[in-house]
Amino acid sequence: METLAARATVVPEAAAPRARRRRSALPYVLLAPAALVLALVIGYPLVRLVLISFQDYGLRALFSGRTRWTGFANYTAVLHGDEIVPMLVRTALVCVAMAGGTLVIGTGVALAMRALGRRMRTLVTFCLIAAWAVPNVAATMLWTWLFQPTYGVVNWLLRLGQYDWTAHTVSALLLVWLLVVWQSVPFVALTLYAGLSQIPGDYYEAAALDGAGYWTRFRVITVPFLRPILLLVTVLSVIWDFNVFNQIWLLTGGGPDGGTTTLVVWSFRRAFASQSYGQGAAIAVLATALLTALTSYYVRRLVRAGEAW
Amino acid sequence: MHRRVSAALAASVALACTATACGGDGGTASTPAAKIAGPGSGTGKTLTVWYMDGDLSDAAVKAINTEFTKATGASVKVQIQEWDDINTKITTALAQNDPPDVLEIGNTDVPLFAAAGGLSDISAVQKTMAQGQTWLPGLVGPATVGGRLYAAPLFAAERAVVYNKKIWSKAGVTKPPATFAEFTADLDKIKAANPAPDFSAFYMPGQYWFGGVQFVWDAGGELATKNGDKWTGALESPQAQRGLAAWKQFQNTYSTPASRNLFNLTPDYNAVFAQEKTAAILNTSVNSILKIKPSLKGQLGTFPLPGADAGTTQPVFLGGSDLGVAAKSPNRALALAYLKAATSTAVQTSAIAGIDGWTPVSSQLIDQTAGSRPELFKAFSFAAKRSVATPASPGWATIESDKSLQAFFGDISTGKTPIADAAKSFDQHLNQALNASQ
Amino acid sequence: MVRRVRPARVALNTGAVLFCAVWMFPVYWMVNTALKPTGDTLSPTPKFLPFPMSLANFADAVRKPHFADYLVNSVIVTGVVVTLSVVVAFLAATALTRFRFFGRRGFLIGIMVIQMIPGPALLIPLFLSMKSLNMLDTLIGLIVTYSAFVLPLTIWVMRGFLHGVPVELEEAAMVDGASRFTVIRKVLLPLVMPGIIAASVFSFIVAWNDYIYAYVMMKDQSRYTLPVWLASFSTNIGTDYGGLIAGSTLFALPIVVFFMLIQRRLVVGMTAGAVKG
Repeated sequence: METLAARATVVPEAAAPRARRRRSALPYVLLAPAALVLALVIGYPLVRLVLISFQDYGLRALFSGRTRWTGFANYTAVLHGDEIVPMLVRTALVCVAMAGGTLVIGTGVALAMRALGRRMRTLVTFCLIAAWAVPNVAATMLWTWLFQPTYGVVNWLLRLGQYDWTAHTVSALLLVWLLVVWQSVPFVALTLYAGLSQIPGDYYEAAALDGAGYWTRFRVITVPFLRPILLLVTVLSVIWDFNVFNQIWLLTGGGPDGGTTTLVVWSFRRAFASQSYGQGAAIAVLATALLTALTSYYVRRLVRAGEAW
Repeated sequence: MHRRVSAALAASVALACTATACGGDGGTASTPAAKIAGPGSGTGKTLTVWYMDGDLSDAAVKAINTEFTKATGASVKVQIQEWDDINTKITTALAQNDPPDVLEIGNTDVPLFAAAGGLSDISAVQKTMAQGQTWLPGLVGPATVGGRLYAAPLFAAERAVVYNKKIWSKAGVTKPPATFAEFTADLDKIKAANPAPDFSAFYMPGQYWFGGVQFVWDAGGELATKNGDKWTGALESPQAQRGLAAWKQFQNTYSTPASRNLFNLTPDYNAVFAQEKTAAILNTSVNSILKIKPSLKGQLGTFPLPGADAGTTQPVFLGGSDLGVAAKSPNRALALAYLKAATSTAVQTSAIAGIDGWTPVSSQLIDQTAGSRPELFKAFSFAAKRSVATPASPGWATIESDKSLQAFFGDISTGKTPIADAAKSFDQHLNQALNASQ
Repeated sequence: MVRRVRPARVALNTGAVLFCAVWMFPVYWMVNTALKPTGDTLSPTPKFLPFPMSLANFADAVRKPHFADYLVNSVIVTGVVVTLSVVVAFLAATALTRFRFFGRRGFLIGIMVIQMIPGPALLIPLFLSMKSLNMLDTLIGLIVTYSAFVLPLTIWVMRGFLHGVPVELEEAAMVDGASRFTVIRKVLLPLVMPGIIAASVFSFIVAWNDYIYAYVMMKDQSRYTLPVWLASFSTNIGTDYGGLIAGSTLFALPIVVFFMLIQRRLVVGMTAGAVKG
């Protein structure tokens, strides 16, 4: 096996698995438990969600079980509004800023962890996990407290006096950005680090013997090997940051003057706060469609990534 | 296992049908609940009652349960629910076939569930329960939809000024003010005597809409007016504009600049008061303060916030809770008996007002208990006399839960949005939300 | 890799320490605040050390009604979800990377799209489905729900890691006479371990942290999970800030312990030695 591993050096594409081509029922059997759970808990509600988006579905319908079809009324009600375009732009910018920040810092941390000594690496892992472990509600509460205008430690450290972060659009966005990035980096960094740790050391040794420097090894071994996982965490980050809700809702409530209202916050205001499930469903369908369209190129690449056939 | 899976599959196929509205769980509008369970009729039965965390003390709940058990012989299972996402929780509970029998619901949220058929119509027994008393309109109004009553009042809570006598007297103010002018003059003195940057003469967080609406009402303004079946946002009216300007002036002058975009929970205004970072707050009770710092007891005073016109006090927002009976409850007669026990004079006097210090549910009871209430609670009783309810529309729950009301007052306090612009866009929001069909 | 270059090493360590300081600060502040007596929280000059120290906040938090019930429920639900989702996802990922079959790409894209649905939207439809399946008010319903939430991600992550394992390794082992089970245990599992760990931490956190589904799907108070306990610190009449922060600290602790425990295995599993078998 030693020779095998050595033979598979440097060109990871060659190391990608070759699928068994013969037809068999085995893959379906292996897939069945996952498919069953997903069909029951997500699939069926999803069908229902789409149906509801064409119905006048509010509390009365929920209590009585009787609904009324309304065609596209929910969709037109949702799309009818002049605030939608600036809000979509804001949502996209916020999403890109959050995902970008998370990925840059997360990748940097993962690479550094690989280079660090064992003790230092454990310390970094501990910090990441501790940050990740703080429950969402508590983290948000903690943030309001850290940035509290009068008693917050951040204003004290930065000598900002009684500056109110939530009262100005830019600082309110920064406040949310800091929280989301702080919370998301651990997953990205640990997943990427796990991916890095999967690269056999032999590859690097072989490359070093060939006289490759750090950057060459990084470019030729690390990047191609990491690409599928990097692409995966990128797509996931974009999806999650597009749908960030609790952090914005609890920190700024979408304010000041709508300055931090993203699509999800807006849809919550518009539909869920008024128990108008039909409109809420319509918004969900539209948002999912939009996100699918925006990420479709990357998702398809992701599906193909690493597949050698 | 295998059997369960196929059963589940069968069920989900059957369900595709419900989703497309070709069936359902027998949901015709429920018949009104009219019969109150009599003595002994509940022996061996258990009634499930949901209370909200932090509203009634265990002792008060026990007093209601005892009264109920005495009347019917049935026992009670109490479950305490949390505030976070409570409307969703109640919504889904009422949509089940075995809902809790009785639920405590915030008075302004009752219309939401009543209008949609989640609660039983209890109009038939209103007279029997009220026993000739006049229930507070602020509690009964929102529970009345289309002339029918869907919940009975449990307790009321009004806001009055809670102040720290020591800080006031140090600044040379020894008696509570009688007019708004005296009030601001007193606060000016306190402000001058306490220059610390985190000290507020009156801590009034800018998003604290309960405070904001008082100024609007005091200036003769309204949140919304009803014409026929249609609600119209009324914050653009000159009176409301005047009230909002007075609010901004008051908030900006006497509360810290840092509080302009805060709600009263971060930090908790009771803690701000308990730690003597302010000389006064507007609150429904003194209990939360004393829980944090019991030693303040001798130092506390209360008075209703004076109105702009001499001799008046500001109208206050009437908060509180109602008890509703789930439309699908199988024990509705017992549930009505529970409502009767909770609204009874004995329980209201001894437990609601006596143990917990809340305001009882009828004006007669307020008068009766006023004399015996501790001095500290009298200001709240007094305030109850001039209380106003929020618009009795199911859409009001939206206004409270989508944070738009908080943001509206916050944006005015910080000066982020000019008052006229904020009122205009908020009126539009009111028009849309209050008239939305359920 | 850069072990020989000393200045680079110093810079790297300095950077790591700096990063730790920034990332740890909120957590440190949380613990610091939790240990302060209530009266010390509102101080314009922050206190960086919690002296005089008080455990009152923790004691109050643990003494809340139903704490023990909720803890037991949370442990059961989280434990089952983590185990179940890892096993199910591993099987699915094996199918997706080792076989070529009809519907494979569709499945992958489908579970990615699932993640794009805004969270609040699914609550009511899912509630209705659980109601129809008679799974409301049962821990099984909650377990199945959380499993379904974490499966898309865990499948994708494990697929990524399985792709990194050369099929040749398995084939070579098979040629050496190892059984399929041995191949999975001795060859595949150690190599995929980092992915399994990443996925299980993710599952742990989702199941451990969820509030709204636990709150809505359970009806009897004794069946709630710990996040409901955490919510009980904020009521309409005020927030018990000290209690909430102390509660959050206790709440976060099991996640940290869980990860630090399995993290050792992560190091063992990924040494190059394992690759060489």
